[in-house]
Amino acid sequence: MTFQTHDARILEVKELTSREKLFTLRFVDPEINRKFKYKPGQFVVVDIRGFGEFPISLCSTPTREGYFQLCVRRVGRMTKHMHTLKEGDIVGIRGPYGNGFPMEKMEGSTLILVAGGLGMAPLRSVLWYALDSGKYEKIYLFYGTKAYEDILFRDEVIHLLKHGEDMNCHVKLAYEVESPSCIYLEKGYSPRVCKGVVTDLFRGESFDVENTYALICGPPVMYKFVIKELLDRKLSPGRIYMTLERRMRCGVGKCGHCIVGTSTSIKYVCKDGPVFTYWDALSTRGLI
Amino acid sequence: MIVLRYVKLPQENFEEFFNSLKRWGKLYAPVKKGDIYSFQNVETLSEIALDYTRTMLPPKKFFVRPKDEMLKLKEGHWEEANGTEPIVLFGVHSCDIHGLEILDKVYLSDPVDPYYKKRRENSIIIGISCMPDEYCFCKSLGTDFAMHGFDLFLHELPDGWLVRVGSVKGHEIAWGSEELFENVTEEDFHHFREFEEKRTNSFKRSLNKEGLADILDLAFDSPVWKKYERICLGCGNCNMVCPTCRCYEVCDLWINAYEAVRVRRYDSCFMETHGLVAGGHNFRPTRLDRFRHRYYCKNYFDPESGFNCVGCGRCDEFCPAKIEHVKVLDKVREGLQ
Ligand SMILES: Cc1cc2nc3c(=O)[nH]c(=O)nc-3n(C[C@H](O)[C@H](O)[C@H](O)COP(=O)(O)OP(=O)(O)OC[C@H]3O[C@@H](n4cnc5c(N)ncnc54)[C@H](O)[C@@H]3O)c2cc1C
Ligand code: SF4
Ligand code: SF4
Ligand code: FES
Repeated sequence: MTFQTHDARILEVKELTSREKLFTLRFVDPEINRKFKYKPGQFVVVDIRGFGEFPISLCSTPTREGYFQLCVRRVGRMTKHMHTLKEGDIVGIRGPYGNGFPMEKMEGSTLILVAGGLGMAPLRSVLWYALDSGKYEKIYLFYGTKAYEDILFRDEVIHLLKHGEDMNCHVKLAYEVESPSCIYLEKGYSPRVCKGVVTDLFRGESFDVENTYALICGPPVMYKFVIKELLDRKLSPGRIYMTLERRMRCGVGKCGHCIVGTSTSIKYVCKDGPVFTYWDALSTRGLI
Repeated sequence: MIVLRYVKLPQENFEEFFNSLKRWGKLYAPVKKGDIYSFQNVETLSEIALDYTRTMLPPKKFFVRPKDEMLKLKEGHWEEANGTEPIVLFGVHSCDIHGLEILDKVYLSDPVDPYYKKRRENSIIIGISCMPDEYCFCKSLGTDFAMHGFDLFLHELPDGWLVRVGSVKGHEIAWGSEELFENVTEEDFHHFREFEEKRTNSFKRSLNKEGLADILDLAFDSPVWKKYERICLGCGNCNMVCPTCRCYEVCDLWINAYEAVRVRRYDSCFMETHGLVAGGHNFRPTRLDRFRHRYYCKNYFDPESGFNCVGCGRCDEFCPAKIEHVKVLDKVREGLQ
């Protein structure tokens, strides 16, 4: 049934920052586990039965089977509840929902991942999918963070700063709040680590626009600035993908909350998205 | 007698036919309650307001209820909550039949909404002809006549009803009471045409659809929206009464210390929380955003299902600020020229 949720057991809880926790889960029923196939950019609805539901992006990669991961920021009632859960606890899950990124279509191309804050969660799925599959020309990760303490998946980011080049993966990090740790990172990896915002990371970069896709996820204010950088370099609106957030209740096109657009084009962020191209945003008013 | 697409129900058999419908399910029909009409459970024909204009809540209330239990929590797991009983909706106007078909597109598309589907499958729709009042503009939207979406449709004749059979179920219903029906005569068809002509000429309001989608989109920053923002009270009545509005909120409620239910209830895009996400960001922060959003949603022309408005006039009749749907759109159009 559409709104039934399946039991998933929390295998591990990892504190990523003071606000974000990474939950590793697996369905209790092995059959459901086997059937659970998803794409980077898709999301699930987490059900804490008797308390409520909320949508969360899958931040693990489908190339690693047997579990999936959710990075949850504590912001309100439900996410606070989620943060109290421990290893061994059960939550309900339904999904995966949404269209996801067109990973197959982008094979052989260069990917520029542009993440701001929590936007790192869905893009981490793309990142590891791309690295695992080895089917992409080059991978850039431009990541804008507030402070050192806010860097999500810090171990992975630092690991890729160190060793990414060997895998054709170029990581760049912009931070806003100065701290000894940041300065230490900057010393080690300048100019790839710098003080500033995510758009500063584009400085001095040029791309083969015929063979490049950009994938963006971040807070609502970020999109316009990042898109400007990409358009300045003549990247086609059809090659710019972004994943968007809206209030969502059902995740499957029924509850009406995520509807965006005007009389010429209406989109449901949950089922037509959450991944849209910049061209979609040009033809559907209000997407960004 | 062989029942086909058209049969006649003579006036003297009307009551018996009406009573026979109870065999098929619990009977609901429009009745007058104070100043308004409402679909209510009825026992006798005399309770019904056959010449009603529009009910306050459209028939959607039987399929997506104002407050609706979805799931029940039993020992940590959800069980499907509601049983469904067969119902007969008697006296549905064509605009509302179109409204239900628009809801079908939403709720029956993959993945199916199980509650809606079960109730739809357990319902019989008997349409009835009507005369427009000052609020109706269904004709301009092409929703003034239903070609499908009903089981039987009754058209008023001077001495009875011309009945259109719209489904296999409708055929079975007519067959079940075949002694009550007669063949349709040329004269009946003549009267039917006469009624339809009279009806067509009685519309006082119409929506100018010409290029509407583009005009509205271009008028995104029109001062007309700002003017209405000041008049609109943001009460959300227009959403509640609209046959195609169906946004819902969900929440879990504890009945006692052991049992909880997951409930959904009508939501309205006029509420500030409708576009609010965590962290306090609101995608439609002002009343202007919300007012405009409703008009865009209603006047989006979906190539598969047409407009999201069926011209029933409810949002006009029940707006406490007397805002008129067609007038808003005309003003926006004028503002652009
Ligand atoms: C497609 C998608 C993917 C997301 N991925 C992630 C992720 O990977 N990590 C993460 O931490 N967060 C993610 N979010 C945001 C997350 O869903 C919200 O932070 C969460 O719903 C907040 O619930 P709350 O009860 O803690 O907050 P409150 O502020 O208490 O919420 C109040 C009410 O509003 C609802 N609400 C608030 N914000 C949202 C929202 N953005 N979407 C839907 N409902 C909302 C809540 O469900 C709640 O009922 C995603 C949202 C969407 C739409
Ligand atoms: S928008 Fe108004 S006129 Fe149109 S269907 Fe809804 S209530 Fe009826
Ligand atoms: S019914 Fe009228 S006043 Fe109330 S929200 Fe709708 S347009 Fe505004
Ligand atoms: S989340 Fe319910 S319609 Fe998109």
